[in-house]
Amino acid sequence: MMDYLTITVVLLAGAGLFLPLLQVFRKGERNLAGYILALVLGTAFALIGLFTLYPSSVPWAGSLIIPDQLGGVFALVTVGVTLAVAVASFDLRKSTSNPVYYSLLAFTALGMVLLAYSQDLLMLFVSWELMSLPTYVLAGFDKKLRSNEASVKYAIIGAMSSAVILYAISLAYGLTGSTQISAVVEGFTNHPSALAGVATLLFVAGFGFKMSIVPFHMWIPDAYEGAPTTISTLLAAATKKAGFIAAIRVLLAITTLYAVTKSPLFTMANVFAVLALLTMTVGNISALTQKSMTRLLAYSSIAQAGYILIGFVAFSNAPGTTAAALGLTGSVFHVVNHAVMKGAAFLAAALVLLQLKRADLGAYDGLGKRMPITAFTLAVAFLGLAGVPPLSGFWSKLLLILSVANGPFAWLALAAILNSAFSLGYYAWIIKRMYIDEGESSERVKEPFWYVLIFAIMVGLIIGIGLFPQQVISFVSNAVAGFAG
Amino acid sequence: MSYILSLLIALPLVATPFVYLATRANRRIGIYASLALSVVVTLIAGYVFWQVYAGAAAGSLGQGQFLFQEKYSWISFSSFGLNFFLGVDGLSSPLLFVSALLTVLVIIGSRRLIDHHEAEYYSLIFLFEGAIMGVFTSLNLILFYVFWEIVLIPMFFFIGVWGGPRRKYAALKFIIFTFAGSTIMLLGFLYFYMGMPSPSFDIPTIQAMLQAHQIPIGLEYLPLLASFIGFAVKLPLVPFHTWLPDAHVEAPSPISVLLAGVLLKMGGYGFIRVSIGLFPGASAQYAWVFLALGLFSMFYGAVAALLQRDLKKMIAFTSINHMGFVLFGAYATLISGTTLGIQGAIFQMFTHALAVGSLFMLSGYIQHQAGTREIPLLRGLATTMPRTAVILVLGSAAAMGLPPFSSFLAEFMVIVAGISASAYAAISVLVPVITAGYFLWMIKRTVLSQADAGQPAHDMGWSDVAAFAVYLVPLVVLIVASYLILTPALPVAKFLMGLT
Repeated sequence: MMDYLTITVVLLAGAGLFLPLLQVFRKGERNLAGYILALVLGTAFALIGLFTLYPSSVPWAGSLIIPDQLGGVFALVTVGVTLAVAVASFDLRKSTSNPVYYSLLAFTALGMVLLAYSQDLLMLFVSWELMSLPTYVLAGFDKKLRSNEASVKYAIIGAMSSAVILYAISLAYGLTGSTQISAVVEGFTNHPSALAGVATLLFVAGFGFKMSIVPFHMWIPDAYEGAPTTISTLLAAATKKAGFIAAIRVLLAITTLYAVTKSPLFTMANVFAVLALLTMTVGNISALTQKSMTRLLAYSSIAQAGYILIGFVAFSNAPGTTAAALGLTGSVFHVVNHAVMKGAAFLAAALVLLQLKRADLGAYDGLGKRMPITAFTLAVAFLGLAGVPPLSGFWSKLLLILSVANGPFAWLALAAILNSAFSLGYYAWIIKRMYIDEGESSERVKEPFWYVLIFAIMVGLIIGIGLFPQQVISFVSNAVAGFAG
Repeated sequence: MSYILSLLIALPLVATPFVYLATRANRRIGIYASLALSVVVTLIAGYVFWQVYAGAAAGSLGQGQFLFQEKYSWISFSSFGLNFFLGVDGLSSPLLFVSALLTVLVIIGSRRLIDHHEAEYYSLIFLFEGAIMGVFTSLNLILFYVFWEIVLIPMFFFIGVWGGPRRKYAALKFIIFTFAGSTIMLLGFLYFYMGMPSPSFDIPTIQAMLQAHQIPIGLEYLPLLASFIGFAVKLPLVPFHTWLPDAHVEAPSPISVLLAGVLLKMGGYGFIRVSIGLFPGASAQYAWVFLALGLFSMFYGAVAALLQRDLKKMIAFTSINHMGFVLFGAYATLISGTTLGIQGAIFQMFTHALAVGSLFMLSGYIQHQAGTREIPLLRGLATTMPRTAVILVLGSAAAMGLPPFSSFLAEFMVIVAGISASAYAAISVLVPVITAGYFLWMIKRTVLSQADAGQPAHDMGWSDVAAFAVYLVPLVVLIVASYLILTPALPVAKFLMGLT
């Protein structure tokens, strides 16, 4: 049976395989590959959207992939971000004229879609690699020293995290005799052992590298800063989210680690809580001291990962309760919102870098006059990231904090609230620089059509979801209910 | 269902982009359109105010009841529900009306005092007004918080773009202080929600549960503390006040009017609506603490005002002093059981908005005309700027609570309630004395002193005098017609006392 998912996979794989041929046959039409890929991604986005709204929940490719709604949410987010990145790349002709660039983007998108739906550890690992390998190349695509350094650093850390995941998978298979995620989780929970605990922690570490969880975050600022900024957008807003879906699928059903230390304190919820606290605090404090926009965004992205983890805490702490449902809904909702907000912020930074050739924060002085649309986008995205109502980021943060507001993890809610207040310090500071400070020049700078289009859509989403969150929240909530049930 | 409150919120908010475009295209048309729009909003708010009074006078608006209620489901999934829920009572209607009225006066005053980025300025005024209308009409805690935070954004730009020399510092300090305070308040709400047996964010629903004793008092302490931090920053209560002098000194004068007249009221409103209204048991237990903090703020504000050389800074500290009365009165009611405290607090918020609003606007005029706001440098206003001087004397009389200005009545009621709470609270009588002292001293130095030779003399025009009359006339009227505010405030006060 030809279903939507098959068509999507074929389209993306076809684009990945055949786009490089354009370089051989059509030397003149430089942007053709970009247009084709945007069309393919747009189609894929629509197909996944249809499929997620009208799910058929039949296993696909054996039991390796089960297209459920939760996977659909993540596939939509990642493909949507890749589409925005592809469109934003139209204007970066020099480095992206190469059809190989778009081919690599297609492979990454394919990897992320498959990862979103994976129900088997091996499938998960294969799609993880399919997603990661092209991004190592993309990070170094500028062929400048910084870019290459970023690429190498990212590749080494990435390879290490893949190795960690693979080792965890091998332990899981040895312990439970299966690579099916549900079987592994059941085996771990019913027969806790020290090795099962170690395997779980290895999964946390392996996924943690992609999710940018402290202390696995050290590669993030360098890679985001060195890579072409459009690719940083992809890393922050798309592949990072893929790490979260993997973590949700594998880790959330495991409730106890107690076999490792025999201590009742050593639960998944406690582990997540400590990681969440570290991640948001380290991210926010480091962001405050940055001098370059991409690094600031990188640290802010780390901090946001900490907020997302709060939902994991609520879910692991008491699965089946209202708080757990609120928390996981909040996590997935924040993943969606963060992808849009951080995507908008990174693309705005990319445009500033493209037009002003500067990445330091000084370039943002008086930006409100020079590039009004970009500055407005950045301001809205920043207020959303800080959680100022009525923008989309407020609602997901509200659900996350609500899920732990009263109970054993109330301290985490307090930490998250204080972090939010603290983070407004640097967000408002940039907004102040853009609108209140005087720049070195107040000459208007051109804002290309494609960027303006993406900015308009993203700002529309941030404000629109903020004012009318009902549709998206109930969609996410249904997807999560399917997973939790 | 009536849509009048939605209209009151939506009209300014929707107007924001249009005002921007109109003012950009043509300055005069933009400003006149803004003025007309703000007058329309004031008329609607006035109608709401009158209806609440009529309802309370006829006895149809009883204790714990709200007029013009609107309720729509905003978000609901699994067991989580959030309503877009609006309503007014005798606590919110005077504030609604005075906020709308001040917006009109601010637009009139800005015409002369704001000279750059006007399109952005007037559109942000309406964003601010819409959010304020939302704060005072929300009956859902999250909705309340949403509007509460939206207020910050225009205020950040008002101070940062149109402010004085240290405006950047003041704007950042303002937004970080108030945002930190309000997020902690939000956490308190969330903690409260998750602890309730059948969770709800709707204020009337929670109050019904309180009356049925379904909420254990143990749940109230932490949210009371959290909301205290949020409201104390806004009120502002010493020692959470340090953002206020900076913000006031740097903000342009029309914006100082909004800051003192409207934004600070959010704190007083929050204390009465939320701290007392939702956490009555815990509030009653710790009422002494709040009473003492209010008293301390009153004295601190008065003494600090005494020491200021900058006229505007002096008025800013007067605000701290006056808003201390609000907290003092509200909690005096909880201890003493007389309704005078809460009624007086509501009255005080109304009169303070107009009295101090007029003084802030006047300080802007004085700086504009005389080139300075330093009290020792302003000499002989009575001869150089006679009309300004008269308004300054009248505004000061209103601020120090001199009859026939109704601020006298408000402060009198609050102090009586304080004395019924405890004989020691009678010390609060000294506060109006100090206030009168520093205002009279200021008048002696500025109005009654000898003018320096060659000092520029630009008095205000009669149209400006008329604008100032709009601030001061209601204060005189209200000492006779005090029932307009006190009658609707009575069921509110009785209801809140009944909850404890």
